[in-house]
Amino acid sequence: MHKWTSRILTTLALSVSITGTAFAEPFKIGYLLPNPVSEIGWSSELAAGGRALEEHFGDKVELQMIENLGEGPDSARVMNKMAADGVGMLILGSFAYQQEGVKLAARYPDLKVVHIGGYLQGPNFSTLTPRHYEAAYLCGMASGMATETNSLGVIAAFPLPEVLNIMNAYVLGAQRSNPDIEPVKVIWLNSWFDPANEKASTESFASQSVDVVFSLFPGTPAPVVAAEELGIYVTVTHSDNSRFAPNRHLCAGQLHFGPTLITKVQEAMDGAFQENDIFAGVQDGTIEAAGLGGPLTQAQKDEILAVQEEMRAGTFNPFTGPIAAMDGAEMIAAGAALDDGAIKGMNFLVQGINTNLPK
Amino acid sequence: MSFPGLTLIPRTRTTPLQVLMVSVTTVILSVLAMVLMFSLLGAEPTTIFQSFFIEPLSSGYNIGEVVIKASPLILIAQGLAIGFRAKVWNIGAEGQLIMGAITASLLPIWWPQSDSMLLLPAMIVFGALGGMVWSGIAALLRTSFNASEIIVTLMLTEIARQVLYFLLTGSLRDPGGYNFPQSVMFPDAGLYPIIGTGAVRANASIIITLLMTIGCWIFVNRAFAAFRLQVGGLAPAAAQYAGFSQKQAIWLSLLISGAAAGLAGMGEVAGPIGRLQSMLSPGYGYAAIIVAFLGGLNPIGIFFAGFLMAIVYVGGDIALVNAGIPSAAPVVFQGLVMVFYLGASLFLRYSLVSVFTLADVKEPV
Amino acid sequence: MSVIVFVLSGAFAMCVPFALAALGELVAEKSGVLNLSVEGMMALSAVMGFMVVAGTGSHVLGLGAGMIAGAGLSVIFAALVLLFRANQVAAGLAVGILGMGLSNLLGRSYEGSSVTALAKIRVPVLSEIPVIGPILFVQDIVVYLTVVLVIVIAWFLYHTKPGLRLRVIGENPETAYALGMHPVAVRLACVAFGGMMAGLAGAYASTILTPVWAQNMIAGRGWVAVALVVFGTWRPIRIALGAYLFGAVGLASLSLQSLGVGVPSQVMSASPYLLTIIVLVVISANSLRIRLNAPMALGQNFSPHG
Repeated sequence: MHKWTSRILTTLALSVSITGTAFAEPFKIGYLLPNPVSEIGWSSELAAGGRALEEHFGDKVELQMIENLGEGPDSARVMNKMAADGVGMLILGSFAYQQEGVKLAARYPDLKVVHIGGYLQGPNFSTLTPRHYEAAYLCGMASGMATETNSLGVIAAFPLPEVLNIMNAYVLGAQRSNPDIEPVKVIWLNSWFDPANEKASTESFASQSVDVVFSLFPGTPAPVVAAEELGIYVTVTHSDNSRFAPNRHLCAGQLHFGPTLITKVQEAMDGAFQENDIFAGVQDGTIEAAGLGGPLTQAQKDEILAVQEEMRAGTFNPFTGPIAAMDGAEMIAAGAALDDGAIKGMNFLVQGINTNLPK
Repeated sequence: MSFPGLTLIPRTRTTPLQVLMVSVTTVILSVLAMVLMFSLLGAEPTTIFQSFFIEPLSSGYNIGEVVIKASPLILIAQGLAIGFRAKVWNIGAEGQLIMGAITASLLPIWWPQSDSMLLLPAMIVFGALGGMVWSGIAALLRTSFNASEIIVTLMLTEIARQVLYFLLTGSLRDPGGYNFPQSVMFPDAGLYPIIGTGAVRANASIIITLLMTIGCWIFVNRAFAAFRLQVGGLAPAAAQYAGFSQKQAIWLSLLISGAAAGLAGMGEVAGPIGRLQSMLSPGYGYAAIIVAFLGGLNPIGIFFAGFLMAIVYVGGDIALVNAGIPSAAPVVFQGLVMVFYLGASLFLRYSLVSVFTLADVKEPV
Repeated sequence: MSVIVFVLSGAFAMCVPFALAALGELVAEKSGVLNLSVEGMMALSAVMGFMVVAGTGSHVLGLGAGMIAGAGLSVIFAALVLLFRANQVAAGLAVGILGMGLSNLLGRSYEGSSVTALAKIRVPVLSEIPVIGPILFVQDIVVYLTVVLVIVIAWFLYHTKPGLRLRVIGENPETAYALGMHPVAVRLACVAFGGMMAGLAGAYASTILTPVWAQNMIAGRGWVAVALVVFGTWRPIRIALGAYLFGAVGLASLSLQSLGVGVPSQVMSASPYLLTIIVLVVISANSLRIRLNAPMALGQNFSPHG
């Protein structure tokens, strides 16, 4: 039905433009998401970014969102088809789409590509990475304050550099607010997606006297739901999960893709698309600590939010030395701060984490 | 078993016309079901038909996509069919594909600057060997310990996946790639040459698939070994009587199918992917089992079945964009096609005869 | 200590989907039908069960809906192999893919949502026993039901007349037919029962074990269930023990990681599958044991005309 109306409109628009009246074609955007869109999580926050675009630009943009595309080589076909159909911009929501995105941007001069979560550069190609670690640091502070057993647990999928910098920031935050914290426990799921094991990991932590779990890049809200059931606190990335744990939600890194995407689309519509590497954090309004709850007092919340304000002002970098690696070796000298490249390519874990990192 | 008033008589042979009739019936039923299903989802039938059956064959790029999709499916299915004909059930081609991709990738990862003409042929050999080693484990356990190859190959698939993750987060990771779990991009000498121009991704790996198809056709039709394999699988007692060993049949079936799956994995990393990464195959190893049966376990049939499946896959991706259907819908469609085909193929193996005329039918000799 | 209690206790809930689906598959296989669509049946029934629990709030209705969905899909499979005499391996895979697709299609609007979990039952007095109490007597109702089902199925197969007939059909349907039994009807019933059990397993996984719906959440458990039947050499009690072992190894590998044991996590993740192969080899090496229990006519279609 929608298809028909849009087709009629297009036909009308064409006939009108033939008669000489200027009728602007909407700017077409293809938006590709790896997973199904649900209430919370990565794809849902990306979808919310898409809705923000539609609200901001109204009829001036035509957004086609394809969800649940997966991450295999097949996704290239859908990107190619959209590029060939003449979309003005592709927004690619998975690391796996990076290589093909760069190729397409080079091949179609009129196509602009915004890729989320990568590191490559190219003509007509911009990359956008949220600074998840900033919110993770704040949630780490919250965890350090909330824990009574001084024992924290992290559930993570794969040891990607982004996962490592988030885990490190989380632990540094916890150590800042609670110097007595024990070495943080970690479970690697080795799967992006396994709700039963996500839940079982939460239970396993609880049985080892962990009283705050951090669900780092969860596939589902399963750990959050389990934490509520078990009566332990939970922090999480991507979205405020309060609705899944009304009593036990401690902190979340809430993403907002809208502001940056609006800027990029505006650039493209104005013919002034910038090819840049955007590492967007609290300062850009892309991420914030949300759903602060549980046992945190107002004073503790204020303390956390004060650090967030330092981040917004650009005066605080969680990766400021002295910071030692798991084995005690000095990684960041006192007073020095890691630059964005080093944060993006992080390949070590800080002291105070008890896990086995593949070399 | 019984349709009322009718009975089934096994056919001793099928004619090409009958095969065609069954295929046409399957396609008609599937298209009807598809139109119904997608209409319920709010898509226009004409757009769907256009997306699934016209657009995949309408441009060089799309035909290329059909080819790169069909190539691994056919290659693996040809290998599996050899075993299936001998009742050796290799269900874990997916794991053999992963192993083949890993072993083939070792060479370009070790020599990322290579421009040697020998790199690609060596990768082909390594890929085939990797798949063979993995299926060989199943053959060894089956022949030595009688362990079911269905289970062993399935379990080995999950293990292969973990081996891949282990290597990608460690020794095979691209040192310049921000520690993402993927290898360096392969040098051109480690990639199959592209067939076509512009965006076309189809590559020379289809030649391997064609060779495999021809080889299997000769193997099945001419070679004595095929007879040995069939006897070995179907009737162990008869096989031993004739002097053939069931063990040989198991080894041969699993090694050939493992090599084919390994080659398919090698074709993915040296083709459209261009590197080793955690996501290698959208389930080619499982889909190929279906292709093998859709093709009636016949090398020529498999060749066409592989292309049919590839068109459905590519058409599904096109329909995602054109008609906005959910990405699960093409999967349902694939399931329906197979269910209809398996139902319709009854008439290839049996003729339906009225019980009242049964007396007039000559019993097959 | 508390970790060991956690693993031994949690393994019951973790093993329920494996055990139920494997027991259903066992009954189908004992009648001579190899149904490889377990994964698809579980996936479809998981979403059906979840939808019903989300809509009505009743876990009983949800489990019932799952059983109907599983049985429905298994009847399509049964029609293919019993009526149309399709190859059992191919038909199982085809119906399995259909089930996966339908599951993902139906579950779209429920993605990432959750339902209330079912409270665990603390058996009075018994649950107070140290160590044993929390392991055995603080479980949800389906865990206890599964234990009952294991015993009932074992008794039915080996100590009743219909059970004997079922096994004869799985051994030699031609003889059974000549003796006046109805192999096709019995096989249909067994396959449908298998579907119901897989359905119960799937609905349990999505509404009780992890009360969250997410696409592909069955994550290979159906295949493990198929493997468990061979693993348990077609004996119900051994299958149930195998399922428990599988659940325990999975939990133990997670718990060992969080204790910081110095083994690569991928080795841990692969360990249940490695274990299956090793046990399978040990069991199968004694070919007598397999020969005594494996249905002779497994995977072969029956036709009264030969």
